[in-house]
Amino acid sequence: MLRNASDSWGAPAKVFHWVVAALILAQIALGLMAANWRVSPTKIELFFWHKSTGMLILALVGLRILWRLANPTPELPAGMAAWERAAARLGHFLLYALMVALPVTGWIINSASNVPFRIFWLIPLPAIVAPDEPTADLFGLVHGGLFTLLTLVLVAHTGAALRHHFVKRNTVLIRMLPGTWRTP
Amino acid sequence: MTKVLSQLWLCGLLLAVPALAADWKVDPAGSKLEFIATFEKTPVPGVFKEFDARLRFDPDKPAGGSIDVTIKVTSADMSIPDVNKEIRGKDWFDYAAFPQAEFHSADLRRDGKRYVARGTLTLKGAKQPVEVPFTWTAAGDGAVMEGEFTVKRGAFGIGLGEWAAADVIGADVKVKFKVKLRKG
Repeated sequence: MLRNASDSWGAPAKVFHWVVAALILAQIALGLMAANWRVSPTKIELFFWHKSTGMLILALVGLRILWRLANPTPELPAGMAAWERAAARLGHFLLYALMVALPVTGWIINSASNVPFRIFWLIPLPAIVAPDEPTADLFGLVHGGLFTLLTLVLVAHTGAALRHHFVKRNTVLIRMLPGTWRTP
Repeated sequence: MTKVLSQLWLCGLLLAVPALAADWKVDPAGSKLEFIATFEKTPVPGVFKEFDARLRFDPDKPAGGSIDVTIKVTSADMSIPDVNKEIRGKDWFDYAAFPQAEFHSADLRRDGKRYVARGTLTLKGAKQPVEVPFTWTAAGDGAVMEGEFTVKRGAFGIGLGEWAAADVIGADVKVKFKVKLRKG
């Protein structure tokens, strides 16, 4: 039950999906608050948690991608239109790409801003670009743009999952829920 | 006999001349004055780019010497643009009201292989006694003086109001110096 099958997700894939989903929602809230808070110790705290959570997500997503590549991917339900299949593939590809690109662009901002930082107070984060204010500003814009894109793709992803469940009445949603769900 | 007496007399004369403590000036090119704060338990280094010092010091006979340091507080650079803007303000260094800091000591003593200067640090209008340990290394015509000590930023009102809490920005600031000196 650990590995994925052609019609079901194994436990590790489900844990990755829901843990990362929860972290992304927390991360969005932290990021929005950190960016908009007035300059204060609270703002520094919010950024500290946003950055730490971002690096945790990046690490988990790295493992998640390896696990996905090492496992079969459950097939999409029969009877989906070609455009639906294409949209599903594109959407999932974008989600993975954004789950990597958002932490990496955040990391670039932190490096370019020259702010020393330890993930959860423990692991010093090395700089990946040289300190440079224009670079920090540019990647601030990129990070914000990618966030907007992520929000749109997440809405589409959630909407599509609900449509599969309530409109098309297939197992796409429930097979990602905890427990053993097999196509009847 | 008279020769021996005259030699003794000469020796006595030489002994009677007090060891003259030399006057020293800073060579800015080889000198650095750092202050290391902490954000979220991570060290964040800063420098005072401009400072000057006058010493009257004999490494063999430190008593009777003196150290007078002036620091241009407004030359502080923490190499993080947002932070550099912030530290100018009233809550931090308050550049407008307190552009200069000073350290004066006329109490120098040897402490094993190093020396200790007890004196008064005047920063942001607050005077506090500090002990500055340092090493002295003769180098050709000049000398290099190196040391570090820790101050509590709160004692000088650095970080007022909500910034006084030490959990986000640490209470201790390490001051580290390496000063190249030449006689003059």
